[in-house]
Amino acid sequence: MTSTAAIQVEGLKKIYDGKILAVDDISFTVQRGETFGFLGPNGAGKTTTVSMLTAGLRPTVGKAIVDGLDVSHDPDEVKRRIGVIFQESTADGDLTGRENLEVAAGCFGIAAAEGRDRSRLLIDQMQLTDAADRLAKTYSGGMRRRLELAVGLINRPRILFLDEPTLGLDPQGRAGFWGFIRKLRAEDGLTVFVTTHYLDEADEMCDRIAIIDHGKIVATGTPSELKDRVGGDVVSLRTPEGVRDISPILSPLAGVTSVQKQDGTYRVKCQHGETFVPQAVAACTQAGVGVIGVTVKRPSLDEVFLDYTGREFREDEGPTATDRAVMIQRIQGQMRGRR
Amino acid sequence: MFRELAALTRREFLKLARNPQAIFTSLMLPILYLLLFGNGFSFNVAQYVNPSLPIPPREQLLGLLDFYFRGAPNYYSYFAAGMVGFVAVTATLFIGANVIFDKLFGVFKRTRGTPAPSAAVFGSRLIAGSAQPILLAFFVMGLALLFAHVSGLHGLSITGSVGVVGGLQIVAAIMLLSIMFATLFLTLGVLIDVPQTYFAAVNVINLPVLLTSDALYPWGTMPAWLQNISSYNPVSLAVNVLREVMFGSGSYPYGPGVYLLGLFAWAAVLVSVAILLVRRALRPLE
Repeated sequence: MTSTAAIQVEGLKKIYDGKILAVDDISFTVQRGETFGFLGPNGAGKTTTVSMLTAGLRPTVGKAIVDGLDVSHDPDEVKRRIGVIFQESTADGDLTGRENLEVAAGCFGIAAAEGRDRSRLLIDQMQLTDAADRLAKTYSGGMRRRLELAVGLINRPRILFLDEPTLGLDPQGRAGFWGFIRKLRAEDGLTVFVTTHYLDEADEMCDRIAIIDHGKIVATGTPSELKDRVGGDVVSLRTPEGVRDISPILSPLAGVTSVQKQDGTYRVKCQHGETFVPQAVAACTQAGVGVIGVTVKRPSLDEVFLDYTGREFREDEGPTATDRAVMIQRIQGQMRGRR
Repeated sequence: MFRELAALTRREFLKLARNPQAIFTSLMLPILYLLLFGNGFSFNVAQYVNPSLPIPPREQLLGLLDFYFRGAPNYYSYFAAGMVGFVAVTATLFIGANVIFDKLFGVFKRTRGTPAPSAAVFGSRLIAGSAQPILLAFFVMGLALLFAHVSGLHGLSITGSVGVVGGLQIVAAIMLLSIMFATLFLTLGVLIDVPQTYFAAVNVINLPVLLTSDALYPWGTMPAWLQNISSYNPVSLAVNVLREVMFGSGSYPYGPGVYLLGLFAWAAVLVSVAILLVRRALRPLE
């Protein structure tokens, strides 16, 4: 392991109940001070990976080193050094914001007076001063998320894990949350590991990204590297139903690197979309095929995902692997109870 | 460990204090039992024994009723002592449900995401969860004593000489019984994830335990087989301590210390099993 690595994962695998493969032999490294995005649709294995890295779930196979410690051997020490913002809301609604923080400080073994000081600082930092002594159940979604972020920072972690941190927040809440993370990174040099299925967030916030699908990492790199790998612009051309295949017409045109046909739409990767479109329309017209729709896209992470998995990012969102495992356990439990 | 325990215990008491409905509901049950059930069932033993009866039959009758109520001057006093044991159990029923709701609302997950030891996570809930039934048990005792001075109501009449040792024995019995059942239901809450399953399990335990004890029935009217079961029931053991101290030890084969010892053995077994199960369930890595 390199001395600068904040997280190093080697051959990590998680199989629930010996049957459900949620994470399949993944390896990656996160450098200190880096914001590393784990991108994938629901059920891809993101939350299971976070649970293993934050010492909440035992890996079936493989090794995860967090801040120099093996999570399987030193789970409590790992927990002491990291901050975690869970996907679901975990703020205690019957406690005030301040009490939530003070209790969290106590859970890390921080002395009461020190806990009060840290809570006060974090409340100010997260702009929750006016609401600090209100019950957390009266907070808006954005305020709750900020409170949870403050709770995640109470132990002054070196690495912050964010599991779908902006899920359910409105655009303003999302922007506000990321504003705080940006500030924290600039001030404290915090390492951030974030899972998300908001591609725009990953593109904007992450230094590097790993794309995970069906439990496997299919690509890793900086957002620009990944987009460059798509190979320039992506032009989609639509033709009327029942006309001949235009792939042979498009492929020889200048700058074209690939042509894929999908449901009557041709997805063409080319170096310069603007110059390709007039050429393509002219060539199709000359061959007697009309083009009824054209879109030109600069490469985005959507395109990257499609490129690596052959599927649209949001086309198969379903229950997560963890959800599936919990459901199966409950059904089995109920069946046992009926016997 | 102490800081974690203190912080989490504070959380439990804050939540308890912010839920006045739960406190009100937990007070209503014993008040209704004391006021309606106890008074409805009660009859004064001496009142039904004709003073003009010749001495031997009178003594026989009084002796028989004394046997039924194990030295208590009337059913109400017998029942009131039983109610103290009854609430020490029933007030612990919801403790495990709170754990399940904390799991469903993510609060338990967050606590488990910290290095707080499982002993602190469990211990904090046990402290707060036992405090409520202990306080409630003393409230019931106080209320029953008060009713004895209200015209038209039956109340608890203490006929024995309680003293310091007796008082401590009563406190110990109530505490052991509450801690034992709080431990049991907390463990169920840690092990079970679905509220419906938890409440089904609670009913399976709660009703047989209470109905095989002599908390509410006159002991002397029980069939012999039920008396035998009742003798080993932890609720009966606790109530025996209370009745013996409050009404005198004439009707009991052993002193309060023996029953306390039995209660302690029950508590030791339950707590040991709970430690094993909870340590397994709350180990750092699932």
